[in-house]
Amino acid sequence: MAEAHVTRAPTASPCPAEAAVKITMILTFVVLLLMMAFGLLMRLNQAAVVQLDPTMFYRLMTAHGIGMVGIAGMSGAAIMWYFVSRHASLTGWVFWALLSSFLVGVVAILASIFIGGFAGAWTFLFPLPAMSGGVWDTGAAALYLVGVIVIGVGFLIYLVEIGRALIQRYGSLSNALGWPLLFTGHQDDAPPPTVVATAVIIVFNGIGTVVGAAALTISLINLYLPSFTLDALLAKNMIYFFGHVFINASIYMAVVAVYEIIPEYTGRPWKASRPFIAAWNAVMLLVMAVYPHHLFQDGVMPAWAMVMGQIVSYANGVPLLVVTTFSLLNYLYRSGIRWDLASALLVTGVFGWSVGSVPAIIDGMISVNNVMHNTQWVPGHFHLYLLLGEVAITLGFAAWLARGEAGELLSGWKSRGLIIYAIGGFGFATVFLVSGAMSVPRRWAAHLPEWQFQDQLGSIFAVATILGVGIIVIPMIKRLAMTMRA
Amino acid sequence: MQSTILLTTFLLMAAVASIFLVSLSAASAGDGAEKAPKLEGVRLKFFIAILLLGVVVSVSSLRPWPKAVAAGSDVIHVKVTGSQWSWEIAPKEIPVGKPITFSVATTDVTHGFSVYDDGGHLLIQSQVMPGYINQVSYIFEKPGKYRVFCMEYCGVAHHDMTDELLVVAQ
Repeated sequence: MAEAHVTRAPTASPCPAEAAVKITMILTFVVLLLMMAFGLLMRLNQAAVVQLDPTMFYRLMTAHGIGMVGIAGMSGAAIMWYFVSRHASLTGWVFWALLSSFLVGVVAILASIFIGGFAGAWTFLFPLPAMSGGVWDTGAAALYLVGVIVIGVGFLIYLVEIGRALIQRYGSLSNALGWPLLFTGHQDDAPPPTVVATAVIIVFNGIGTVVGAAALTISLINLYLPSFTLDALLAKNMIYFFGHVFINASIYMAVVAVYEIIPEYTGRPWKASRPFIAAWNAVMLLVMAVYPHHLFQDGVMPAWAMVMGQIVSYANGVPLLVVTTFSLLNYLYRSGIRWDLASALLVTGVFGWSVGSVPAIIDGMISVNNVMHNTQWVPGHFHLYLLLGEVAITLGFAAWLARGEAGELLSGWKSRGLIIYAIGGFGFATVFLVSGAMSVPRRWAAHLPEWQFQDQLGSIFAVATILGVGIIVIPMIKRLAMTMRA
Repeated sequence: MQSTILLTTFLLMAAVASIFLVSLSAASAGDGAEKAPKLEGVRLKFFIAILLLGVVVSVSSLRPWPKAVAAGSDVIHVKVTGSQWSWEIAPKEIPVGKPITFSVATTDVTHGFSVYDDGGHLLIQSQVMPGYINQVSYIFEKPGKYRVFCMEYCGVAHHDMTDELLVVAQ
């Protein structure tokens, strides 16, 4: 069997709660395949191939949305935890607490949806949880909100612990953010890329999670005390701020794997240069300022906020692409890399993230958003950078984690699985983009006959995606389980 | 407009894919001992080029202001109210070639008011927020039936929240 030449990076100390990281990866694959199956069912229903009751369609939609966002967050958190432990001393029980809170939250959310009938979409847009039109009761909505809050509390503890460990190791948060190098040019003080990225992520994701928790808590109180209300526009600002920040943090947490693993393949260390630190620090502010691009169709939003939303949408994508994509391609150039499943998936992930940014940035223009908002253009772009971006990087990390001392070259079923997954994922997202350009609304249980051809095509690509991911993850689950027993 | 957006998007996506393909085609070459090429200057130029492009695109796409609401004595006002799961529109018959301003409100949750032409193209939309009245303007160039759809998920009959407008020649 051919072997890839891979150098293992020295590990300062074993990752605390490594078993929990591996369990999270296995859990990720199970949830991913289940949520993909829900997605396929929804597309088949829109294609009129299967007949779902609309209440069931919207329950599946709610589960698919919160499930995918949640598992993206958990897998990203596991990756970041694993690599931060190379640079700072973490307390193992904290990750176990995050995993436990996630499992408790998932049980509550699934019960609220499939027993209580909650179908308020993952975005719980105020005041929809309290006004179901008689479809679900207050208890179901409360259980959903409590489930999300429990997961949020787990994330907050996780972020605080990482912040504590970085401050303990680097003396202050500003040192971990790389400010000495940024402002004085002292290269000796530069923390590793993983530390800079992590410090940025914990700042904005911490703020986002607190804002989300506030919106959830107010919605929860409103369920039982309708007189305790919140301005709907403020609620929407809070929810989209939280949602945007959280899903971006999920991708960025996963990207840390690229900084840590790719150098093992190329033999070229990924350095935190001044542009790298400047870009990540810019992102810390931009990712929080960009969310008004979700509110372009709310005419009562101030014009300055909309203009900011458009400009920052563009500006937010540039720094990370310049320092991550550009640098990755530079590090790979004539590196003599031998492709195995892990390296191929990681590079696929950066490709999916980069190419998916294009339709996202374009939708961040007000004039485009006027005709694309809440059409299938939106799932088109986010499936590109999540399905082919975050998911591919997570699969790459798991492949690297599950491999033996020397990785096997990319061939056979692994190669076929990757190709099927990539074609399926790209085709699936592209059909959404085309449907968006044809003005097909998103989140509709029943589709007009003229939209159903794309739905059928999308379903075929969805089957391919599930097949490809299945081929990749099933052997990986076995390997991860074996390494845990060893 | 939508086809232009799609074409532009695909061209830019193809450009990104081409950069990856060209770069990755040389990745396996080399013996692993070479250092990565020094491309700080190229990266800086690339960054400045993207920045300048952003300024041009931003200025040109924000003028005229894409959220402008028509005002004046010749504007026809249409009042739209959304409720789970129906629309109340008054008047439902509007003239061709005149600026129309839709004022949209809701009695319950957030909805999304949108108008589609007979070719299935989305022409205008606005969120319909509890406690607020949003406005959106449009001049209909052709008489005929236009469909009204809900564009914001508002509960389990969201997809059934449809209606029609009639645009008539004067």
